[in-house]
Amino acid sequence: MPSVVELVQSLVNGVGIGLVYGLIAIGFCVIYNASGIVNFAQGVFVMLGGMFAYSFLVTLKWPLALAAAASIIVVAGIGVLVQIFIIRPMWERKAPMFAIILATLAVQLLIEQIVILTMGDQPRTYPEFTLGGPLKLGPIAIGYQLFWVLGCGALMVVLLQLFFNKTRVGRALRACSQNREAAALLGIPVGGMLMLSFALSAGLGAAAGILITPTQYTAYSVGAPFGVNGFISAIIGGFGSAPAALAGGILLGVVQSAAIVVFGAGYKNVIALTVLLIVLLFFPKGLFGGLAKKH
Amino acid sequence: MTSTSGTTPHLIEVDGLSASYGRVAALKPVDLRVEEGEFVTILGPNGAGKTTLLRAISRLIACNGQVKFKGQDISKLNTHQLAKLGIIMVQEGRGLFGEMSVYENLLLGAYGVGNQRDEVERRFTQVFTLFPRLRERSSQAASSMSGGEQQMLAVGRALMAGPKLLMLDEPSLGLAPKVAAGILDTLGELNRNGLGILLVEQKAPLALKLARRVYVLSSGSVRAELPAQEIKSHHDLAKFYFH
Ligand SMILES: Nc1ncnc2c1ncn2[C@@H]1O[C@H](COP(=O)(O)OP(=O)(O)OP(=O)(O)O)[C@@H](O)[C@H]1O
Ligand SMILES: [Mg+2]
Repeated sequence: MPSVVELVQSLVNGVGIGLVYGLIAIGFCVIYNASGIVNFAQGVFVMLGGMFAYSFLVTLKWPLALAAAASIIVVAGIGVLVQIFIIRPMWERKAPMFAIILATLAVQLLIEQIVILTMGDQPRTYPEFTLGGPLKLGPIAIGYQLFWVLGCGALMVVLLQLFFNKTRVGRALRACSQNREAAALLGIPVGGMLMLSFALSAGLGAAAGILITPTQYTAYSVGAPFGVNGFISAIIGGFGSAPAALAGGILLGVVQSAAIVVFGAGYKNVIALTVLLIVLLFFPKGLFGGLAKKH
Repeated sequence: MTSTSGTTPHLIEVDGLSASYGRVAALKPVDLRVEEGEFVTILGPNGAGKTTLLRAISRLIACNGQVKFKGQDISKLNTHQLAKLGIIMVQEGRGLFGEMSVYENLLLGAYGVGNQRDEVERRFTQVFTLFPRLRERSSQAASSMSGGEQQMLAVGRALMAGPKLLMLDEPSLGLAPKVAAGILDTLGELNRNGLGILLVEQKAPLALKLARRVYVLSSGSVRAELPAQEIKSHHDLAKFYFH
C-alpha cells in the first residue's frame, strides 16, 4: 500500500500535470466550438512549444521570457498555416467533418516527421524557470516549476475568460460557437474566426509545452500522449467553457497520478481511459454538460 | 415612385437566382427587386422556397444567378460581406445566441461598428426605444425569453447591424396574433422611416396591410407580382398557390 505521503505528493504532481492537460483541453474546445472540428494535431503544438523554446533558450541563448514569447508566437503562426493550407480548403469545399478531422491527424504525423528530420529524435529539456527547490513541506516536495505551471496556467485562464466575455472579438468567437449562420448574417467573418481559433489553440498548446518541458522532456513523440490526455480532459469537461475544460484536466491529472502510485506507471493510460468511460457512462454530456448540444 | 425607378438603381435586384438541394431544384430562376424605402412581401405556401430564396440572397446556400445591391453586383460576396453592406436577415427560427444575454446578442448585432462606442450607444438607444421590453430584460439569457420577446430581440439585433435592407423570414411564426401584429407594426414604422424591407410571411392579411408590393412564390417560382392593394382576399391568393 502506498503511504499517505506518497498519495499527497502524487496529488500535488497531479494538479500540475492536470493544469497542463487543461490548457490543451481548452485548445481543443476553442477550435471545436468555433467550427465543430476536433483538432487531433493539438498535441503537436505542445511538443512544438517545448522544441522551439529549447532552440531559442538553449541553442540561441535567448532570455527565458523572450524565448517563451517567441515560441508561442511561432507555434500560433504554425496553427494559422495549418488552418490556411489544410483546414480552410477542405472547409470551403464542404468536406465531410470526419475527413477534416482525419486531416488534422495527418498534420500531426507530418509535423512529427518534420521535427525528426530537422531536430532528430533526441529528447531535450531545459532547466526549471526558477532554479533550486524543491520546496519542502514536511515530507512533501513541491518543485518550483509547479508554481510556474499553476501561476501561468491560472493567469492564462483568467485572460481567456476576459477575452471571451469582455472583448468584441472574443464575444464574436462565442457567437460562432453558438450559431455560425447567425454570426455570419451579422457581419462576423466566420472564416477569420476559425483562423483565430487555430492561432489561439496552438498558442495555448505551446504555452503548456513550454511550462511542462522542464519537469520532463520534449521529443518529437510527446505530442500524441499530451493530445490524447487533453482530448479526454475536454470530453470530461463537456467541450464547453474554458473553466470546465480546465477542471476536466485537473481531475484527470490528479486521478492519473494517484493511480500511478497505487497501481504503477504502466496503468497510466488505462486509468485515463477508465476515467473517461466512467464519466461518459454517468454524465454522457461531460461533467459540465456542454457536450452534445452543439453540432 | 413608379416600379421603374429611372436613374436611381433598385435597392436590391435579383436576376435569375436559383438553388437546389442535391437534385431537387428548390428555387427555379427567380427575379425580384426591392426599391429604396419599399416594403415588399413574399407570400407562398409551405415548401414554396421562400426560406431558400432569402438564404440564397444572403449566400447561406450556394446558388446561381445575379444579385445587385444599389446597382453593384454582389453575386461574388459572401454572407458577412453582405452584412457589412447593410443586407441583414432575420432567420426563420430567429437564430439567437441562446446562451448569451439580451445585451450581448444586441452588442453582437453591432459587430460591424467596431469600437466606435458612440455609434453603438446610439443604436442601443434606438432599439430600446422601439422595444422597451429588451431594456428591461437586457441581462436575461436569450433562450429564456418568451417567443414574442425573442422575436423582438431578433429584430432588435438586426437593427443594431444598421440594415439598409432588412429581410425577415416569417417573424410572426408561433406568436399570438396580437404579438405578431405588434412586431409587424414595428416593421411598418421602420419602413416609414425609410428602411427597405423584404418580408416572408404566411399570415397574408397582416403582411398585406404593410406591403406595397407582393410576390407570390410557389414550387420555387414567382407565380405573380402585384401591388398589395390589388389582393382583396385570401381567396384571390389561392389561385396563384396551386396550379
Ligand atoms: N436542407 C434541405 N435539404 C433538402 N431539401 C430542402 C432543404 N431545405 C429545404 N428543402 C426543400 O426545398 C423546398 C423549399 O423549402 P423552403 O424551406 O425554402 O420553403 P418555405 O417556402 O420556406 O416553406 P415554409 O413556409 O414551410 O417555411 C421544400 O420542398 C423543402 O422540402
Ligand atoms: Mg420557410
